[in-house]
Amino acid sequence: MNRKIGVYICHCGGNISDYVDVEKVKQAVVNDDGVFLAKTTMFACGDANQKEMVEDIRNNGLDGVIVASCSPKLHLLTFRAVSERAGLNKYNYVHANIREQVSWAHSDNKAGATDKAIQIVKSAIAKVRLAEPLMPFRFPAVKAVAIAGGGISGMRAALGLSDMGCPVYLIEKSPFFGGRTSQWDVLYTSGQTGGQMVSELYGELLKRENVKLLTGAEIISGSGNIGDFKLKVRVTPRYVPENCNGDKLNESIAACPVELPDEFNFNLTKRKAIYRNHPGQFPQTAVIDMTSCTRCGECEKICPEIDLSQEEEIIDINAGSVLVATGFDPYTPADGEFGYGLSDRVITLPEFKRLIELNDSGLVHKGRRVRKIAYIYCVGSRQPEGDNKYCSRYCCTSVIHSAIQAKKKFGDITGYHFTRGIRTYGKQELLYAESLKGGEIYLQSYEDDPPVVEVNENSLKVRINDILTGIREVSVEPDLVVLVTGMVPRADNSVGALFKLPKGRDSFFNEIHMKLRPVETVIDGIIICGACQGPKNITESVNSALSAAVKSFSLVNRGELEMEPIVATIDEETCEWCGACYEACPFDAIRKTVKGTREIAEINNSVCKGCGICLPVCPVDAIELTAYSNREIESMIDALAGSYPIMTTK
Amino acid sequence: MSDEIRAASYDALVIGGGIAGGEAALDLANNGYKVLLVEKDLSIGGKMILLSKVFPTLDCAACITTPKVSEISRHPGITVFTGAEVTSIEKKGEREFETAVTKRPRYVVEEDCTACQLCEEVCPVVVHDEYQYRLVGRKAAFIPFSIASPRVAAIDIENCTLCGACEKACPPKCIDFTQETEKYIIKTGTVIVATGFKLFDPLKIPRYGYGVYKNVLTSMEMERQLAPTRPFNTILRPGDGKMPDRIAYVLCTGSRDDTIGNPVCSQICCMYSLKQAQLLMGALPMADVTIYYINIRSFGKGFEEFYEQAKGMGISFVKGKVGKITETETGNLILRYEDINENRVMEEEHDMVVLAVGVLPNTDPLSFFRNGELKADQFSFVDQAEVLSSPARTSVKGVFVAGTASGPMDIPDSILSAGAASSEAISYLKQ
Repeated sequence: MNRKIGVYICHCGGNISDYVDVEKVKQAVVNDDGVFLAKTTMFACGDANQKEMVEDIRNNGLDGVIVASCSPKLHLLTFRAVSERAGLNKYNYVHANIREQVSWAHSDNKAGATDKAIQIVKSAIAKVRLAEPLMPFRFPAVKAVAIAGGGISGMRAALGLSDMGCPVYLIEKSPFFGGRTSQWDVLYTSGQTGGQMVSELYGELLKRENVKLLTGAEIISGSGNIGDFKLKVRVTPRYVPENCNGDKLNESIAACPVELPDEFNFNLTKRKAIYRNHPGQFPQTAVIDMTSCTRCGECEKICPEIDLSQEEEIIDINAGSVLVATGFDPYTPADGEFGYGLSDRVITLPEFKRLIELNDSGLVHKGRRVRKIAYIYCVGSRQPEGDNKYCSRYCCTSVIHSAIQAKKKFGDITGYHFTRGIRTYGKQELLYAESLKGGEIYLQSYEDDPPVVEVNENSLKVRINDILTGIREVSVEPDLVVLVTGMVPRADNSVGALFKLPKGRDSFFNEIHMKLRPVETVIDGIIICGACQGPKNITESVNSALSAAVKSFSLVNRGELEMEPIVATIDEETCEWCGACYEACPFDAIRKTVKGTREIAEINNSVCKGCGICLPVCPVDAIELTAYSNREIESMIDALAGSYPIMTTK
Repeated sequence: MSDEIRAASYDALVIGGGIAGGEAALDLANNGYKVLLVEKDLSIGGKMILLSKVFPTLDCAACITTPKVSEISRHPGITVFTGAEVTSIEKKGEREFETAVTKRPRYVVEEDCTACQLCEEVCPVVVHDEYQYRLVGRKAAFIPFSIASPRVAAIDIENCTLCGACEKACPPKCIDFTQETEKYIIKTGTVIVATGFKLFDPLKIPRYGYGVYKNVLTSMEMERQLAPTRPFNTILRPGDGKMPDRIAYVLCTGSRDDTIGNPVCSQICCMYSLKQAQLLMGALPMADVTIYYINIRSFGKGFEEFYEQAKGMGISFVKGKVGKITETETGNLILRYEDINENRVMEEEHDMVVLAVGVLPNTDPLSFFRNGELKADQFSFVDQAEVLSSPARTSVKGVFVAGTASGPMDIPDSILSAGAASSEAISYLKQ
């Protein structure tokens, strides 16, 4: 076939041309079969060059285009779009990577790098000679979004989507909305309590007709793909109806004989099997915890509306996109870590926050009045060994704020802060200044010499070699030690596992691109936000929640989606259904089907990513990949190897 | 100036074409809204497009910004005005904003310019290149920088001598000295303020000698030296062109400092300094790099690991604030500082000093509304009326803030805040 191919070789402002002689690359390919023009350019991705490419394609009727530049991860889509704007089918564009694969990899060998760049461009030319125009698949997208997690991020994303006109399912596993925020007392900087903030959001959500709120709801299976996710949700009943409230409810709770530690208060208090977290919680009805209920019937005697015969329900949800907002767990210190577990007077920051809220006149812990507090920073964060190498970002500001709150509420409290360098970034710096002025004492340890907590029979002692007072050993005998614990990924990874969401080095969910695409994931249609992606404070969580909302919205808004036509195809005549491809597929895109009397494999085009992993496992060679056919790949290999002496001297 | 006032209407006005404004404009346009993006500068891309690499991924900033910028400039739903400024905004009612926009003449017909640079070649006037942070010169007829969008020449009329050489040299004859300032009244349903930040001016701290000692640079000047479109193609100290081998970073220059009126932590300087230090170790393998700091604040995703990586590469860290810098006869610099870890006052000689300058508010948006309806916070950033539950909302309903206009933040946080602003803007338009 006579092709008219245009080749553009990018300097990348020196990133490539410092090591690859781009002029020589051009000269080496300009006379190749089918090549109509070859040019070099300072920045192929720049506007001016894009314009020039469009004109070249239009004016010369080019039917194949190659840009030799950076990784296709960066600019494949850019140049496909250029082809499209010029009226050329975008699959007649082929990308050659001569930066990551050549100039950066071989900066020590310029001649060799130039040779390798020539081979790579030649193989791209071989591929584009065989390229066929392709049309993207189009399929409908369900205009609804399912949100996993009803904490502050999930609630705010639900509200955002609802206000943009998108139906939402807000799915919360626990019996109550509000997540961690509902456990916090006064918030920095609004001065509201966490409960108030949650209650306002909940009130707004109740007004929205296009929001379906589900509590006690667990996603038990997820299938489908972008535009058409199918979720099965198991909803545990509350057993307590709304009309069981007020005094009657309080009496029922009092009558319950079962007592267990209250996890909402980090086990500082006890709750019954029939319970609510706090009077302003959401929904405002109580719930019976059937794992501990003895079905004694005492509560039913007082509140006959209580219905222990309620049964769990399985609900089917169909959504075009799934937004994951499953949040974090507070770090639990190991036994003996800074005295944790050795003394009941060593507690964590979340426990301390509940303690402030639960006390009124004076700060009392385990029957003892607390006046001197030692705060030990970076517990479970910035660890030299283990998984938690990262900084949890929220804790410095959070503990300083709590220390100020405790002082305001109880008056006679002095805090000793054992830090590793304060990180009150941005305007939060002012809170640190306020705390210093208020008389809080800040100490800082050397990186390799953390403070030591001594647990004695009747006392606690914290020792530090302090940088800030001139390398003196300072010790304090506090009434309470607060371990400033950070955020860790949720131990419960059920949602992540359902959708095979990738995790980063820190085990939080990973975004596509840390800088520019922080809420999208490699699984099309699955969006992440809030602290499940990494530690965040409330403002940052809400920003990411709304950002996620607008991204999900733009996927489902039009009711139709376009997908890459690069998928595996099955040769129905050759396939003998052995199941090898089915076993190999990481995306569950292959199923067995019957054609006439024969069992063969079938590809689900909207799930297939075109990864090609099924091709080599097929024993009868019945699978081809669109745009990467055996013929194309072999021609590329021939071109790559073609000019090597060993191949040409036969 | 022509008296004609042109009228136009769009669904949304986005003020500022940096990474936050650009992202917000794309979010809106991708959902079918018509957007006008007004940029004061001659190119969109903001400060990000001028950076070297980004932390902690060490992606080339130009390489990840250009596709965004290109997507913005070719999006059918987005109209871009460069060299244009908002002079006033009036809220006539809900979803009725009227904005006066002034577009300065470029003296070049944008559609016809091919960026051939012949005008640049023949122009006899040389002035400091502000896009290279004054490290090198440019002509009065010039293309702002190689990856500018639009990549179109402009005439710097302040410095132009009207010699006419460029007019004669221009092949498509697109230079037009008769162009005048254009005035517009833009009607939109919502406004997003993404006006970015200003860098601290180190002349305000005379004891660091910036502007007097030639080898004291700002971090943005170092960004340009490290960028792929760098002026020298290597690292040189400006005083004598020597390749430096003992480089110091002075953190918190103009941040966390009540004495110059900015108690706020700028949030990005620790990280960009760690990044630059690592790039310097790559560019100048024999050089020593020392970072003088109060606290290293590597708080974001992957940041602490990046800090550890910097330590592993052999970058030195000294906990202590630099009090004073003096120059030696050779152009080297002596830093006097308190080494807090060692508890003593020390002096150390370096041959190049980089001042890690902080983030200050851009106060332009505060004068957009005649009666000060758009409120500022105590530091003159745009106030976030509901900072926890709706961080993009401002004191004016229907006006939203994105990126560093509301306070210091890094690129991912700017992107997230832009997403929040566009989400709220769509909700507001649909009310």
